[in-house]
Amino acid sequence: MIAAPSRKIRLAGPSTALAILGAGVVWVAVLGPVITLAAHLSWGGLLGALGQPGALVPLEVSVEASALAVGAILLLGTPLAYMLARDRLPWGRVWEAGLLLPLLTPPLVIGLLLVFMVGPATPIGHVLAGVHLTAADTFFALVVAEIYEAVPYYVLGAEAAFAAVDPDLERAASLLGDRPSRTLRRVTLPLAAPGLASSLAVTWARAMGAFGAVLIIAYHPFGLPLQIWTTLQETGLESALPFALLLLLVALPLPVAAYVWSARARRRL
Amino acid sequence: MLVADFEVARRDFAVSVALRLQAGERLALLGASGAGKTTTLEAIAGFVPLSRGEIWLGDRLLSRAGQRPVPPRDRGVALVGGSAALFPHLTAFQNVCYSPRANPAAARRHAVALGLGRLLDSRPARLSEGERRRVALARAIAAGCRTLCLDEPFAALDRPLAEELLQLVRELVESLPEGAILVTHRLDEAQAFADRIAVIDHGRIAQMGSPLELLRRPATRVVAQAMGYRGWLSIGDQVLAVHPDLSRADGQDALRVGASVVGCRPFGGRFDIEFAATGPWTGRAHLHCDSPLEVGAEIEMVTPEPVFFPSHPGVGDA
Repeated sequence: MIAAPSRKIRLAGPSTALAILGAGVVWVAVLGPVITLAAHLSWGGLLGALGQPGALVPLEVSVEASALAVGAILLLGTPLAYMLARDRLPWGRVWEAGLLLPLLTPPLVIGLLLVFMVGPATPIGHVLAGVHLTAADTFFALVVAEIYEAVPYYVLGAEAAFAAVDPDLERAASLLGDRPSRTLRRVTLPLAAPGLASSLAVTWARAMGAFGAVLIIAYHPFGLPLQIWTTLQETGLESALPFALLLLLVALPLPVAAYVWSARARRRL
Repeated sequence: MLVADFEVARRDFAVSVALRLQAGERLALLGASGAGKTTTLEAIAGFVPLSRGEIWLGDRLLSRAGQRPVPPRDRGVALVGGSAALFPHLTAFQNVCYSPRANPAAARRHAVALGLGRLLDSRPARLSEGERRRVALARAIAAGCRTLCLDEPFAALDRPLAEELLQLVRELVESLPEGAILVTHRLDEAQAFADRIAVIDHGRIAQMGSPLELLRRPATRVVAQAMGYRGWLSIGDQVLAVHPDLSRADGQDALRVGASVVGCRPFGGRFDIEFAATGPWTGRAHLHCDSPLEVGAEIEMVTPEPVFFPSHPGVGDA
């Protein structure tokens, strides 16, 4: 049996100290906005803003829409990510490039294009109307916009997570008598789980914070990002801060928890 | 009995193999990298389609060209490769009894027999390379395989450990209904393991026979090279293949070739002598000696059972 490798880091000299100092500066700069938010918030303002009747409705809308969007992305995106990782799709690079499109296109443009693609006057809009759905200023439109903004984060992350699972392990499992479904359940998914969880958590944060496409195609019902935007427009910076805090409190714990869990899971391997 | 007579199309050349493996028999597929050894095992394991022929294990048809093969999970073939391919999130014991066919009590017995008794709760990351190979072997046996395919499983291990594990595999194979195939590029491994050796070259079996038969009567220069012949001495239209361990620097036996020592280096407990033939002979070769020789020393290379090939390399290798 061999000993686990030591995780202690030794300072090797001025270059290491400089690198750590640089990393510290970047870390503080990245956290700066959150620290600023905490500094500018007052308990009175917070309770006043969030205590008003109906103030938490946008939060409910955002959480419900994001849960649905993330659920749909998880169901549709996981098999796609696996097939991309294992080169099971013809022209895999083309598929990947397609997934990058929502990531590279400005969200406002995505919203605009979605209106012309799934809006009520379009062929897809007519089909949706047949099942009593409208993709304009509805809860359904909000979910669609969030899916478009968030889907690349999950599929590309999940593809990397699956690709990191050694295909030799899946071959070994099949030689040991496994059906593909059992190999997926007992080998592939457990090993890819930390990466999948991280990707899913980031996707949740993106869906919760989706704004650009939402502004165009789903102004109503009001989600939390739009609540921040309209409060900012109508009553100024200070009054938008409580809603900003609320968005961070709902969007961030899942990514943080996923990060901690996946880091621990990777260490155990 | 495993009966395989098939062809697998590859980008560089087709791998065309015909072999039979008797119950409990150990066959070594010996050849250089890229010769088609691994492709042969992958075809037997069901990972590559056949372009011709078929593979039988006992009375079961596993693969036939143009037909859907029996999937790897139902073939009864175990494949242990250079990486042990252990599931890193499972303990050694969970790995050993991973197969849905494995019986936990029997799996524990196999693991203990392979010296894994106190390591059963350890994850693969905490095991040494040798221990990982043992877990992979125990897992293959516990899965109830009928035949064991070993694809250079000990290539990354040091010599003593590889020899120890090879001995272990020899004992394990006795319990298998259809024997085992070891793929290797190392002659010592093939000789230590196999009842029969098949030398494979460019996708074809150049010669198959007992280790002694191949050593004494290699059919081609490729086979001779695979069996450790190291040097070719020409005379007229013939080439003498020289095996360092079948030749001596003195003695009274059959064929004698005058030679001059051009190099001498330690080789295990003996010495590897490189010499240049003199007189009517031309060429350089090696032999192994018990004591060192001076460079420039005149010797007589003596080989009791000379192996000749026609001087044109292509003729001998046809």
